[in-house]
Amino acid sequence: MSTPHKKTGILLLLLLLVVVNLPAQGLQFSGYARSYTGILLNDANEFSILQNTFNLNIEDSRGDVAFKVNPYIYHYSNEDLIIGLREAYLDIFFDNMDLRLGKQQVIWGKADGVFITDIIAPKDLSEFLLRDFEEIRMGITAIKANYYIGNSGIELVWAPVFTPTQLAEETSIWGRSPEFESPISGVSPTLIYDYSQKAVPASLENSETFVKFSGVSSFIDYEFMGGYIYDDDPSMHIKVDMSVDSNGVPQPQLTLTPQHHRLSLVGGSTSMDIMGYVVRSEFAYYSGKMFQANETFHVGAMGMTLPSGLEEKDYLHYLVGLDFSLGSTKLSTQFIQQYILDYDESIIQEEYSDMATFLVNRMFMNDLLTLQLFAYYDITNEDALVRPTVTYDLADGFEILAGANMFMPGVNNDYRAYFGYFDDNDMLYLKLKYSF
Amino acid sequence: MKTKTSLMIIIGIFLIGSMSLTAQTEISATEIMQKVSDRPDGDEMEGTLTMTLINSRGGERVREIRQYIKDFGTVEKKIMFFLKPADIKNTSFMNWSYDDANKNDDQWIYLPALKKVKRISSDSSGDYFMGSDFTYDDLGDRKVGDDTHTLLRTETIEGLECYVVESVTKDEDYMYSKTITWVVKDRWYGLKKEFYDEDEDFLKSLTLLNVEQINGFWIITGTEMKNEQKDHMTRMEFNGVKVDAGISDSKFSERMMKRGL
Repeated sequence: MSTPHKKTGILLLLLLLVVVNLPAQGLQFSGYARSYTGILLNDANEFSILQNTFNLNIEDSRGDVAFKVNPYIYHYSNEDLIIGLREAYLDIFFDNMDLRLGKQQVIWGKADGVFITDIIAPKDLSEFLLRDFEEIRMGITAIKANYYIGNSGIELVWAPVFTPTQLAEETSIWGRSPEFESPISGVSPTLIYDYSQKAVPASLENSETFVKFSGVSSFIDYEFMGGYIYDDDPSMHIKVDMSVDSNGVPQPQLTLTPQHHRLSLVGGSTSMDIMGYVVRSEFAYYSGKMFQANETFHVGAMGMTLPSGLEEKDYLHYLVGLDFSLGSTKLSTQFIQQYILDYDESIIQEEYSDMATFLVNRMFMNDLLTLQLFAYYDITNEDALVRPTVTYDLADGFEILAGANMFMPGVNNDYRAYFGYFDDNDMLYLKLKYSF
Repeated sequence: MKTKTSLMIIIGIFLIGSMSLTAQTEISATEIMQKVSDRPDGDEMEGTLTMTLINSRGGERVREIRQYIKDFGTVEKKIMFFLKPADIKNTSFMNWSYDDANKNDDQWIYLPALKKVKRISSDSSGDYFMGSDFTYDDLGDRKVGDDTHTLLRTETIEGLECYVVESVTKDEDYMYSKTITWVVKDRWYGLKKEFYDEDEDFLKSLTLLNVEQINGFWIITGTEMKNEQKDHMTRMEFNGVKVDAGISDSKFSERMMKRGL
């Protein structure tokens, strides 16, 4: 455990001791302890993960105020500890208004497992998309205000500090590094990373603002939203130095500078029950997205194309979904499309990117046993992630879950393939969880 | 309340029906079931529901829910906050049920792990509620006209005179081919009910364990459902019941689903 982690750990332990010794006064504790073991289905059968987790929720409510603190600890087989606060906020309730101040997860939209208008809580992708949902979404420091008018209301979120997507470390099996293929045989570009522009300084000017008007009714549930934000995923600015060696062969050197850029978006989502079928939709118009693009360089008479450019374009991202039952089996499917407006052929991403998700869930033995299959399928690249699970409740609060993560290769399986890139990471896993 | 859509008032479980008068009685089976359906039980109700699920080896699992119900005239709204077991704590569920027989219920669920309210399909009446032996339909508001009712006989059970009414479904796809209900004369609540599956085999029986007069209304506060085919049983107790004690309209909202108790 590194020194900062040790300090954080000590502080958390002190906090726990103080909290535990407080007079009861309605203080509530809940959470879980979990053991998680995963093994890769490669020839070596290495363990993909050996993790123990402790997650604690401490809550109290007195009249029109409430608070919640959610510390967590991940312990790994190499004795590494990751300690943090997923949420820590104070609520103040008024007749028609709520205020929440502090670190919080804010989730919007009607989509499942897809992020279109759900862009406030950044993603923790240290284990790709495989963590439980509440663990993928990171808390942000923000002020959230809700004003209610009957069954509709306005929500304003102001985040003074930008928090980017947490990417997996490059050394992790979930790391993803850009690859540059040189068009000249035997010549590989030299890569230099410059992280000087990656951080967005905390300032009023760099804060993020989100607004939503939403409501529920018998006919339809709806949300309309807008945001002035930073792109959670950095754009890669690439500077190309094209020197020539003594034999006249170009030796490209690429300096990669990740940088977050401003985005603005408007969007919305709906959900309605039509004859027992729940139909969901979600859409967003993003303005100012930087897309990676090819550039051609000339060295003498020789031409060379590298994916080093950036093209600023607007794009649309939308989804339609359907939830229904066949007997006691629950099914859900979604179709998602991303469309780049005013498309330029130099952009590496396709003009249209299509994806689908599928969910099948059925419970047996008075809900003791649950079988589930969830799958992402990238229609454009034909790669997929398939996640079957079996869950059995050993007793109230005790659960055992066995599952698999199967990555299916597609047409392309390089760093641009979302699922096929991890074709070697097929795994089986087991989770034992005690909730209290 | 005009309807009896609630876990607390398991009246819906005991009722249903329509049928012809017999020569020996002054009331028809349909009228009996209509009286059960129309039995006054207040416009608002709240309480804590405890379900104990008991398997064939005697192993028990406990589910606890705090729930509120309010009749708004043409719509009855219900909100439930799950307290136990721990892995579903802070989950909430809201149901709006309409007097209009052609209009499906609207249902939403709030899952704290997802941190959002999801509309869910109301087309799940045959599903079992939280792993218990009660289906959503057992706990809901089956319309009297959905079945054909026949008065079989009268019986006296534990000193209470009962009408024994057979209710045969008009819908071939319904999960029960028929039910038989023992309705207490003049009080119009069910004392016992038997359910027969689609093959007309005996499936399960519901027994009244406790009924109380609260605020002038007969409220069923204890029942037991035994599934004979699966040898599994659910005991349901309703505690801390308040009738017409005042529940704010705003209780039945997305805001409260997220905020919890």
